[in-house]
Amino acid sequence: MATISIKKEEQSIEKMIKVENLEKHYGNNHVLKGINLTINRGEVVALIGSSGSGKSTLLRCLNRLETISTGKITIDDICLNESTKNISMIRQEVGMVFQQFNLFPHMTVIDNVMIGPIQVLKRKKEEVEKEALELLKKVGLADKRDMYPAKLSGGQQQRVAIARSLAMKPKIMLFDEPTSALDPELVGEVLNVMKQLAFEGMTMVVVTHEMGFAQDVADRVVYLNDGKIVEDGDPKMVLRNPKSDQLKSFLRLVKFE
Amino acid sequence: MLDFSLVQNFIPFMVKAAWITLLLSVISIVAGLILGLFVALMKISKYKILVWIADLYLWVIRGTPLLVQLFLVYFGLPQIGIEFSPFTSAAIALGINAGAYIAEIYRGGILAVSKGQIEAAEALGMKYPTIMKKIILPQALKVSIPSLGNQAIIMLKDSSLASLVTVSELMMVSQRYASTNYAFIEFYIVAALFYLLMTTLFTFILNKIEKRMAVSEQ
Repeated sequence: MATISIKKEEQSIEKMIKVENLEKHYGNNHVLKGINLTINRGEVVALIGSSGSGKSTLLRCLNRLETISTGKITIDDICLNESTKNISMIRQEVGMVFQQFNLFPHMTVIDNVMIGPIQVLKRKKEEVEKEALELLKKVGLADKRDMYPAKLSGGQQQRVAIARSLAMKPKIMLFDEPTSALDPELVGEVLNVMKQLAFEGMTMVVVTHEMGFAQDVADRVVYLNDGKIVEDGDPKMVLRNPKSDQLKSFLRLVKFE
Repeated sequence: MLDFSLVQNFIPFMVKAAWITLLLSVISIVAGLILGLFVALMKISKYKILVWIADLYLWVIRGTPLLVQLFLVYFGLPQIGIEFSPFTSAAIALGINAGAYIAEIYRGGILAVSKGQIEAAEALGMKYPTIMKKIILPQALKVSIPSLGNQAIIMLKDSSLASLVTVSELMMVSQRYASTNYAFIEFYIVAALFYLLMTTLFTFILNKIEKRMAVSEQ
């Protein structure tokens, strides 16, 4: 009886991501030191921390762009550290947006958005094209469909990159400092798209230096320092009333007041 | 005294010989482009055995003269029962030779594609063959074009070595007429002009290709 009720409870929360005792070494460099983290469906989690804290590495472990040394990651009931077959399953469910956009420069905007469904899901171009155009509308760039990425501003490129990820209909979106490479005046347009996604209920993990975004949009803020999770909780609590000295000094450094 | 009117009567034959030069060059360039691609892919493979085979090939081909390779194919292979026509021998030797240089050109282009491109493709769930075909090679090819053009021009000129295995290409024919007419300067200058015309044609075509591929940068 007891086990059944626990199971029920677990299902109702619906865990999307579960990281257990994750360790990551780069040679002698111990980057992640026993990370435990559970993220529920629809949650928007901001990962913050100074550079070298391991936040990007943690994010990249979630879709296996980084191998893990020990520990276990479960994404939507798929275990990540077993076989290469799982890796491609995971990657189809987890979208990722990069700091440097990484659009494919030899393809037009719409081809960038269509390539995932066509090449990975083996879907027909005609039906994908309609969806791709919808996504471009959603990020406000339908009129740029036939342009090459080099002609777009950084903010526009990043919005195309988000559309490209969404074309795979992922259940989770990972953002690795999505606005860090942008000119200040272009940050807002990207954050707005992300806000909209959050509003629609997408499960999101965002490595960010945008404390304003973390406070206003995230459901949870996770602060990493030296490969460990130091604080984890409601954004207002974590950012307004930091408990640890490390987070206090970090927030002072990023001038978040 | 120089007498270019002498050459006039032989122009049709020289045009025909130049055509053979062009044909030989184009065939061996195409062979080199295909062979080079496989060798480049082997060289960046994670399978050590493929890397070794590619390394051995590059080491031998780049470390020995083209003429030796050509003689081994034309004079050497018949000794062990494998015989090709002069033209085929020359095409094989030139193609194998060019493959080595072209492989390195491709490899340079592949390494120039940023790691972020591969990660973005991986994050979408693409597998290695698709990433190579759709993401890396198109970009690598584009940066390789100027060097490939250079290689094509080198090969067009190197094809003159085929005259030494009795292929009736431009050099062979010019040599014959030059000595029978005792008009070396005249025939060799005309031969040089033919080569110049063909390399100019190559350069022209390459510029066109380069312009077309640059469309994504506009």
